[in-house]
Amino acid sequence: MHAPVLVLKDSLKRESGAKVHRANIQASKAVADIIRTTLGPRSMLKMLLDAAGGIVVTNDGNAILRELDLAHPAAKSMIELSRTQDEEVGDGTTSVIILAGELLHVAEAFIDKHYHPTVICRAYTKALEDSIAVLDKIAIPIDVNNRASMLGLVKSCIGTKFTSQFGNLIADLAIDATTTVGVDLGQGLREVDIKKYIKVEKIPGGQLEDSRVLRGVMFNKDVVAPGKMRRRILNPRIILLDCPLEYKKGENQTNAELVREEDWAILLKMEEEYIENICVQILKFKPDLVITEKGLSDLACHYLSKAGVSAIRRLRKTDNNRIARACGAVVVNRPDELQESDVGTGAGLFEVKKIGDEFFTFIVDCKDPKACSVLLRGASKDLLNEVERNLQDAMSVARNILKNPKLLPGGGATELTVSASLKQKSSSIEGVEKWPYEAAAVAFEAIPRTLAQNCGVNVIRTMTALQGKHASEENAWVGIDGNTGAIVDMREQQVRVPIWPPSSQTCFLPFPSLYLDSFNVKAQTFKTAIEAACMILRIDDIVSGIKKKQAPGAGPAPSKPKIEEEGDADGEQILPD
Amino acid sequence: MDFTVPVPNVLGERLSGQDVRDQNVMACQAVANIVKSSLGPAGLDKMLIDDIGDVTITNDGATVLKMLDVEHPAAKILVGLSQLQDREVGDGTTSVVIVAGELLKRANDLVKSRMHPTLVISGFRLAMREACRFIKEKLAIEIDKLGRECLINCAKTSIASKMIGSESDFFAKLVTEAVLAVKTMSAEGVVRYPIKSINILKFHGESVKDSYLLDGYALNIGRSAQGMPTRVAPARIACLHFNLQRTKMQMGIQVSVTDPRALKKICQREADITKERIGKLLEAGANVVLTSKGIDDMSLKYFVEAGVIALRRVPKDDLRHVSKATAATMVSTFANMEGEETFDSSFLGYADEVVETSIAGCDVVLLKGTKNTNAVSLILRGANDFMLEEMERSLRDALHTVKSTLESNLVVAGGGAVEAALSMHLERLATSLESREQLAVAEFAESLMIIPKVLAVNAAKDATDLVSALRSCYHPTQVGADEQHLSSMGLDLSRGVVRNSFEAGVIEPAINKVKIMQFATEAAITILRIDDMIKLVGDRQEYEEE
Repeated sequence: MHAPVLVLKDSLKRESGAKVHRANIQASKAVADIIRTTLGPRSMLKMLLDAAGGIVVTNDGNAILRELDLAHPAAKSMIELSRTQDEEVGDGTTSVIILAGELLHVAEAFIDKHYHPTVICRAYTKALEDSIAVLDKIAIPIDVNNRASMLGLVKSCIGTKFTSQFGNLIADLAIDATTTVGVDLGQGLREVDIKKYIKVEKIPGGQLEDSRVLRGVMFNKDVVAPGKMRRRILNPRIILLDCPLEYKKGENQTNAELVREEDWAILLKMEEEYIENICVQILKFKPDLVITEKGLSDLACHYLSKAGVSAIRRLRKTDNNRIARACGAVVVNRPDELQESDVGTGAGLFEVKKIGDEFFTFIVDCKDPKACSVLLRGASKDLLNEVERNLQDAMSVARNILKNPKLLPGGGATELTVSASLKQKSSSIEGVEKWPYEAAAVAFEAIPRTLAQNCGVNVIRTMTALQGKHASEENAWVGIDGNTGAIVDMREQQVRVPIWPPSSQTCFLPFPSLYLDSFNVKAQTFKTAIEAACMILRIDDIVSGIKKKQAPGAGPAPSKPKIEEEGDADGEQILPD
Repeated sequence: MDFTVPVPNVLGERLSGQDVRDQNVMACQAVANIVKSSLGPAGLDKMLIDDIGDVTITNDGATVLKMLDVEHPAAKILVGLSQLQDREVGDGTTSVVIVAGELLKRANDLVKSRMHPTLVISGFRLAMREACRFIKEKLAIEIDKLGRECLINCAKTSIASKMIGSESDFFAKLVTEAVLAVKTMSAEGVVRYPIKSINILKFHGESVKDSYLLDGYALNIGRSAQGMPTRVAPARIACLHFNLQRTKMQMGIQVSVTDPRALKKICQREADITKERIGKLLEAGANVVLTSKGIDDMSLKYFVEAGVIALRRVPKDDLRHVSKATAATMVSTFANMEGEETFDSSFLGYADEVVETSIAGCDVVLLKGTKNTNAVSLILRGANDFMLEEMERSLRDALHTVKSTLESNLVVAGGGAVEAALSMHLERLATSLESREQLAVAEFAESLMIIPKVLAVNAAKDATDLVSALRSCYHPTQVGADEQHLSSMGLDLSRGVVRNSFEAGVIEPAINKVKIMQFATEAAITILRIDDMIKLVGDRQEYEEE
């Protein structure tokens, strides 16, 4: 008698062997195919409809993938890649997916030929190492202290992102903002915290040209009592609080049982006295401006306005921190513990301005602002959102360059150079790894190929011409002009169009329509793509449906546990040695 | 007159004799087969997806089996076995399951040919004891002779089979450095390597090769207020276990007052109690305060003023490690026996330096030069979270390996070398036995060869060919004058030849192999002894109603 043996729960689905390889590769390729058309300046937009009927129209790789609800686990891990890329360098989110998809695509042929996945992985890792070495070789260092060169670089790095009519402006804003909040760590290192200390404020109306980086902070608030409080103060003394200026009840639950009528009056009086007391303590320091994160009662408002002090309430914590950094104040919690050193005196001007229908507070002209706001103006909310996204990209580019001041050619030129030199090297590689290594080299061509596809030129002709050029090493900077599809040499263009005075020694300035990429972005793209491809290739078994809460033993028992034969687990893979 | 044989009234299914053994063995083999393909440098990974859709990608036998919902009771023993191996030595979790599965299969065949299970069991015991003795006496080599290079090789062998295998050189160095950095000498002069004080932090982005070792214990939280200094040296650390907020009564306690002025006093007092506590901390000389609970804005101010780094909501595990490393006492209340609140400066821990730095856009607080044990942190980078998780598991295995190498001081050759040597040795032993246990010992010897076999199969090599080549190396006629040299012949899986594993740097701690033998045999014996399985019906009441 053979009773059925149930080892795993029958809710578990298990797949293994070459089937898994193929399924994983298919899924990853599918993801890459979705966003393939959004690469480059001639990219198309995607319209995504969500369940609630909302529409998202975008060409940002990360944004598209974020919206997709994919079931396949390998596809999910692809999506993670673009998120990683976005968080780490803020650029190249589409390229990383396309590259990873292509690497898996070329690996499929080897899996079909019964190559062992670990062999492919080894070859890919080697290709990664060599490609980073190539990047190092063709990168040009730049001088980050030279503003003109920085400007040109940031601009060309983000050249694909928006129309050129306001290209210069965004780059200006980005550089201003990042240099303002940059902190020297010594040894030539600079730390730029975009997230914490740069705030982008969008105000519809006006022209885009009115946008600027403030030497200080602004926020969407008005003084508590308009009319009674001053709206413009020169060299204000600022006190920042994060406690309420109203009667504060204790944390403990308290009941007051009043038996005499007078007690009621005392109770009310006490509350008033409490507020008066706080205000007196604050006023001792002769502030011109009091800002609190919490509430501010009418009574406190009365005392403050009587003393000629302007007050702003319910400010966000992050805004308060930024003000503290901009004007040198310290955020205080208990007014009775105020000190002279807590008062901020660094700001040159406090002003409340009415823009459109709303009042905005500006604390500007700071002596040494370590935080700033970027004020964006524009015709519509949508336009501003677009500009803000671009500005974020521009700032991360600026930060990347500050961190690692090296540049690479864009327009597929880098990938072609890497591809060409890997191909050359592949002939010197021993053993079976040679073929996957060469395939990895070919996979890098996916980027220029997709660029050519997207701008509608003859792909085969363009690619052949490009490959021909890259056969010799001095043409490392030849790539595709993503707008026209023409083959251009980035270097020639730069020499021909000198825009700024030749003050920068280490770098010549690129032509605005050319594409450069920061070293960090490219290196990160290669690293992420190859490592992820290796990870997916190494999977030979998928078990799904773990820990479903089902009644044990429910349902018909499957006949026997599937015992895989050795042949199933890649037994017969004879390598073409 | 005929008797009716009373059948014991069992509520449920009952299975006995050969049937149950067949079933158990089959189940165990199924488990072994699941993890088989992840063994060795050419082993591949498994992707596990739970019902929410969360993905785990792993190569670690223990993790795979833990995640799988194994249902069969005998198979569960194997799952427990791999967990045990994980806890005891940290590595070799896949091998132990495979060996146990193979032992069971062969034992079952013996039993089928009418050999009593107890006989098989005693044979296995004998073989196991002899195997352990042989490893310790003949195969193992002392590490002192081999030096630091040997540690790196041990780590490399452990890492080679994982996802980060292609960077094994890099990570082996990292792991070895980390373990050596936390070396501590206890009061009795015993050297220990507390790998718990190696903190592993994961940040996605960059490449796996950009992972690095950081001196000091890293806490993955920023300081609580921007106004605090980013660096304090030397640091005196207080580890607290309570809130530093306005004092609040326990839930449901109401204070009733008749005098309205008392209200104000209550409020004042609430703030002051905490203020006094903070005052006591500062008085004791603390300049770094860690608490597992919250600190409110009011209290933060005092710390900012005093130039103290305060961290709130520190995970409990981290706090425990910190208190251990810095010799700080975790304080859950200030109250002393007299009912007063005190904080003694002896509760403070000590570190040379506490700094806040930023890693991959996250603020991290580092404690450097801690007093008791030196703490280090491994910062891992990688393409995505799945990868980082798997890297952490792999590195933990490698850390364990290096640690057990250092502590046991004995290493053996890897790549199937030990198994082949043992197999041949036990075979010779078997022929010298007169009793029927001979058969069991011979089968034990045979089943050890499963490891080189699976290694070869996973690498897509001709297993039969390679394994016979390997075995021939250990034949008595070969092992003659130059015994040492041959006792470390193992498989080279990338080229598919037999080579000297020691020279190639493929080595493992001896304790690892010994434990594999012991655990696998014990588990096999446990399962083998079963000859009756009764599955009780869950609810007796329900059964009777029917």
